[in-house]
Amino acid sequence: MAKILMTVPPLAGHINPALAVAAQLKARGHTVEWALHGALAGDKLPAGEKLYSLPAGDALNLAESSREVRGLESVRFFYDDFCLPLARGSLAPLEKIVRQCAPDLIFCDHQMLAGAMVARKLNIPWLTSITTSASILKMSPMLDDWIAEKFLELQTLYPLPALVERPDFSPYGAIVFSSEQLLGDKFERVPATYHFVGPAYSGRAAVCDFPWHRLDHNKKKILISLGTVSRDRSARFYEVMIAALADMDVQIVMVAPEEIAARAPHNFIVQTRVPQVELLPHMDAVICHAGHNTVCETLSFGLPLIVAPIRDDQPVIARQVIDAGAALFMRFGKVTAATARATVAQLLGDASLRRNAQRLAQSFQNLGGATQAVNIIEQQLQNNNYIGKAENARVFC
Amino acid sequence: MPETINDAILQQVIAAIRSAIAEDWVMDFAIDADTSLNDDLEIESIEFVAIAEALQKLFGAQVDIIGWLSGKDIHELIALTVGDLANFVEQGSERG
Repeated sequence: MAKILMTVPPLAGHINPALAVAAQLKARGHTVEWALHGALAGDKLPAGEKLYSLPAGDALNLAESSREVRGLESVRFFYDDFCLPLARGSLAPLEKIVRQCAPDLIFCDHQMLAGAMVARKLNIPWLTSITTSASILKMSPMLDDWIAEKFLELQTLYPLPALVERPDFSPYGAIVFSSEQLLGDKFERVPATYHFVGPAYSGRAAVCDFPWHRLDHNKKKILISLGTVSRDRSARFYEVMIAALADMDVQIVMVAPEEIAARAPHNFIVQTRVPQVELLPHMDAVICHAGHNTVCETLSFGLPLIVAPIRDDQPVIARQVIDAGAALFMRFGKVTAATARATVAQLLGDASLRRNAQRLAQSFQNLGGATQAVNIIEQQLQNNNYIGKAENARVFC
Repeated sequence: MPETINDAILQQVIAAIRSAIAEDWVMDFAIDADTSLNDDLEIESIEFVAIAEALQKLFGAQVDIIGWLSGKDIHELIALTVGDLANFVEQGSERG
């Protein structure tokens, strides 16, 4: 049996798919260990996982430090003030961890740049985990050039055997937690060997309570969630949703801060956290920020969406699901109650949205999620063995 | 860069932005030369295309906004204002 080291940024959207893969790996008898920024991850990584904690250095808590940024500025922020400082501070400690752990394979998130650099330097087989399909598209030469420049800077700090334009993509392959049907073919992709496996859920039980008895079986139900990074961002959006939907004949489950929960109308259930995957089968539609995991989870239940992208990759994911015919757009910071009301009426009334969501759900069902990801990992482990133990041993001398 | 922005062009650019966004809030939203496309208007770079096409239709093919934008770096794009667009349109239409 093999030892796999998982290394991911300390963000729920990146940790959760990796957890699902880790659970399957363990079920097949493999050993899983983690290298991540424990202080920033908090309880997003469940207790009981073997963890090597990395120092967060001068990287900031993403949710707290970037509350106001949006759009392209948030992409710049994500790399300049989060991803790259994390990488710079983690290179040496992670190299030490990897030498100590001596994994057979590293499962490395595409935004955990230190993991990719260390795997390359120590010549350890590794697979890239891609938790947002926006990352593999070449959408803007300006952005591609800027990212390439950042990766060159990182390589002057931590030289690799050869300069690589995109060190974040493993030459061994990249596992994408999406489907090609959702991705579409409008944009060129970063060259790599891609394995599309669809979304992967961790089987762990819901970590929060929910008043299931309050769900009204006679009403259409909509979940409103802005995800873990943006939940506490601004009250305006929640206020508009309340103004728009309080009198509508629908039931709303909304994830929002405590102060909003205190004045929820009668047809709203407002909580700071909800068991999202368990709730989705009870919903008719979802309004969200177009976070990759929320969109894919929603689609896997065949539900249509309204997407109100805020930052990072969200505008790109929003575009994908709108182009696939399964979602409507709402402008996060601008939408009025009147527009929100009309858009929700269309969301519930337009049968083609649901049909397209169901088509995408089918595209996910045809893929194997975490199980398929583990098949790919095991295939790579078999390939490693062909290379021969002698060559592998040299790495750790 | 002209020191002052041609007001007639600025107003046409603002009108084009309003009709490209085509949402209720934007009709009453105060837009001037300092209004930023990213922060104030929440326009994603992938939405620029619609605005660029509308302006090209108004001012002629020589006003190649997409070409002009592709020469900009990430910091310039983040800071892009309605006034920057109007200035470029003015220079472009003078060339034409």
